[in-house]
Amino acid sequence: MITIIGGGPAGLAAALAAGESGSKVLLIDSAPRLGGQYWRHLPENGAWGKQEAIRHDFEKGNQLRQRVAQSVNIEVLSNAHVWRASPHDEHITLHLLVGGVGRTIDVKNLILSTGAYDRSLPFPGWDIPGVMTPGGAQGLLKGNYVLPGKRIVVAGTGPFLLPVAAGLAEAGAEIVALLDANRLTRWIPKFHIVLANRAKLREGLGYFQTLAKYKIRQQRGSAVIQANAGSDGTLESVTIATIGRNFRAKAQEIIKCDSLAVGWGFTADLSLASNLNLKQDVLEEDKSVFVTVDEMQRTSMQNVFAAGEITGIGGHQLSLTEGKIAGFAAAAQFGHLTDVELKGKLEPLLAQRKKERKFASALISSYPVKPGWQEWLAPDTCICRCEEVTMEQIQDSITELGATDARTVKLFTRTGMGMCQGRICGRAVIDIVGRESGINPTIQDYISASSRPIVTPLPLGILEHAPHIE
Amino acid sequence: MKKLTFFFDGIEVSAIPGQSIGAALLESGTKVLRSTRIENKPRGMFCGIGVCFDCLVVINGVPNQRACLTEVAEAIQVINQQGSGAYPIEGAS
Amino acid sequence: MSNLYGVPDFKSHPDAIVIGAGVVGAACALKLSGAGLKVLVLDRGPIAGGTTGAGEGNILVSDKEPGAELTLAMRSRNAWFEISEEIGGGFELEAKGGIVVSRSDNGKTALRSLSRQQEVAGVEAIEVGSKELRLLEPYLSHEVDYGIHYPGDAQCQPMLAAARMLRILRQRGGNVISGADVIAINKDSVGVKSVLTNQGEFATRIVVNATGTWAGEIAQLAGSFLPIAPRRGFILVTAPAAHLISHKVYDSDYVANVASGDADLQSSAVVEGTKSGTILIGASRERVGFKSDLDISILRVLAAQAISLFPVLRNVQLVRAYRGFRPYAPDHLPVIGQDPLVTGLWHAAGHEGAGIGLAPATAELITSQVTAATPFMDASAFSPARFTAVLAS
Repeated sequence: MITIIGGGPAGLAAALAAGESGSKVLLIDSAPRLGGQYWRHLPENGAWGKQEAIRHDFEKGNQLRQRVAQSVNIEVLSNAHVWRASPHDEHITLHLLVGGVGRTIDVKNLILSTGAYDRSLPFPGWDIPGVMTPGGAQGLLKGNYVLPGKRIVVAGTGPFLLPVAAGLAEAGAEIVALLDANRLTRWIPKFHIVLANRAKLREGLGYFQTLAKYKIRQQRGSAVIQANAGSDGTLESVTIATIGRNFRAKAQEIIKCDSLAVGWGFTADLSLASNLNLKQDVLEEDKSVFVTVDEMQRTSMQNVFAAGEITGIGGHQLSLTEGKIAGFAAAAQFGHLTDVELKGKLEPLLAQRKKERKFASALISSYPVKPGWQEWLAPDTCICRCEEVTMEQIQDSITELGATDARTVKLFTRTGMGMCQGRICGRAVIDIVGRESGINPTIQDYISASSRPIVTPLPLGILEHAPHIE
Repeated sequence: MKKLTFFFDGIEVSAIPGQSIGAALLESGTKVLRSTRIENKPRGMFCGIGVCFDCLVVINGVPNQRACLTEVAEAIQVINQQGSGAYPIEGAS
Repeated sequence: MSNLYGVPDFKSHPDAIVIGAGVVGAACALKLSGAGLKVLVLDRGPIAGGTTGAGEGNILVSDKEPGAELTLAMRSRNAWFEISEEIGGGFELEAKGGIVVSRSDNGKTALRSLSRQQEVAGVEAIEVGSKELRLLEPYLSHEVDYGIHYPGDAQCQPMLAAARMLRILRQRGGNVISGADVIAINKDSVGVKSVLTNQGEFATRIVVNATGTWAGEIAQLAGSFLPIAPRRGFILVTAPAAHLISHKVYDSDYVANVASGDADLQSSAVVEGTKSGTILIGASRERVGFKSDLDISILRVLAAQAISLFPVLRNVQLVRAYRGFRPYAPDHLPVIGQDPLVTGLWHAAGHEGAGIGLAPATAELITSQVTAATPFMDASAFSPARFTAVLAS
């Protein structure tokens, strides 16, 4: 039996590769319906008039889900949150919360495909209702047929802003502006990589066509540096600024809007990888953390594979490819594929992965987050949303109390100690502490940010009683 | 499209099955889901996918439930969470 | 890591060096500097990064049996409030009070007898029944009908306490160097001569070993011996749930466990609300070395025990869990005093689970001994000389 955690593109691909090779698969997913954030959907697909707004090859997702449903080898456990993975000598114990009931499952072979979420940077007003992440805004649309607002500003950086703005526009929202902090000129030296990934180029051009069709104001080298609340406490306008290459704010302007979708790329969800002490590393370019894997997507722990965003942010195509590789490699380990069969399956996939990783790497270097964003912060800007810790409190913990690293700032101020356990502010706090203290964060500082012994909150009453099911 | 009904602060809200509580509330015009425990500030949905824990509401008397993850169900009672929420005292009348 | 606060002129020859920037080291540094000494604090990690950073912040008089440790605890409890005045607060010090309960006939008898003895020693201990318990803690289980209320028990945020004391130390001209790993403690015919670290050598005649669980290693570097070992404990942290629990409430079994030397898991419910709104649930005790795995079966026991005291916790969410290592000596008493083999080396360690509470009085004893002043109590019970016999055999 191969257990897969995460039912997004990587997990679905892994389940099918392993299951259709003859392995028994248990696919665990926290959502009620498979597909991950990328293929988030309502149960009654087709009952809404605006599917066109949710372009992203939705068909592909439907096909994968159907194949999973048809496979006799794949068992799906939905609504299942793994709140802890405990490594033991011969097995791993997964502690789950399934539809509000506690369970534990012992597994021997695991594929982790826990995905990613939007990376956020704190800025004045980012806690005002009406400010969301682009993933959140798109999730409302894809998974709920709801728009986050009527007049929406989309901002931050990265190619993901394009489908978000295009989708919201097609669904009937007015996109007041689309701002990307980075200029397209960063692509010029890498254009050969774009040409080698024509599908990506076509996808991108499609979004630009949509944006043109709705005459959406697009501005690159610009950012939202402040969100402003109206008298009802919700978002009324944003302050935007043209920014230099280092993100320092220059000319400013105020734009009225009732919704802001702002994000800065993605952060891998490494909580379970950290539970298992899987070897992780930090990408030099953007200091993002990823699980290190070999050719076959094997991690540092025997019989544990990783696929998709947690091995490095790269988008759904790369996730599908990595998922397939992990699924086949895991199946081969149980003799469900011969060496020759495995080699045949892997050959095209490895070439594909190489090409897609190269594109992912080009994306990361074309949409950098530069340290100038910290100058947008005011002393009273909320940095840790859960514990309401301000920039000034963080500065005091360094200058007055002698904190020299992010962990000590956490102990002194409670940053990252709230319900989200630093998922939102953890990385930003490391950056802020590094800059304010003048002491460079260590690789371990970045990796430790996803150490969450309890991955997701659970009622104590469930911790108290949890029967073994396997 | 089939609809169902739940309550937010005692007021009826209609929703499509499968929608999250947060999405259904947004559709009905409600952006503020809670107020924070330290500064008493309004908060709403932020990450939308269960990561940030900012959309916390009280569902059927239990605080700290994520409105963005919890799907609507017929007749559930959802209320705006004030601070860290309140818990009933057992055996109290 | 570097020295953030510049290099004072005494850097190469402070009057005293305190090794360990936890709460005990910080208190010792504060008190020594108050006596006029130029103090340098060294820590291999950041401030409060060891056991202090994993502590609940207990300042208890309720869990000590009459004797030297209770005398130390009673002085220390008051000393915390004096320190708060001295350094301007800022570490969430709160005289919240403790409630010890018992649900068995034997337990009640033992608890009543202990509290009587504590009262004789000067501890305020009030017997409370079902009705009073409900007034003190409305969410307490109806099965609990007997307890002792100790209004003197207090709590603080220990990391902030350490940092705030060290802040005052720096204002007095002292210094703190984080990331300074002690490599050697050099001696001459007089005694301690200097401390060699990865950030340089510092000459001094007085070294205070306040390294908690690691105190044995420092003693060894100086050519001596200290039998301090770690005792692992887990703490559960819930989602904020303000006003559910206002005191530190614990089962009387807890007192028995602290004094026990059994390596097997021991656990009894210790439940308390904190100023930040979260509820802390302890306290397990195991002697398993520095084993750091998160053992879910222990968390289950903690949860079950806490729920049995406060059924409302069933619906409160667990958000975090962390472990710490309590430094303990074989006889479960702290080690406070000069090393019998190394002149100039003073130990302030081995406080087990009570290091936060006992830190100020420990610092006062160390300071009296170092400056040859009259101590507030006879500290011979804490002398490290009590282990010399072990070393000789």
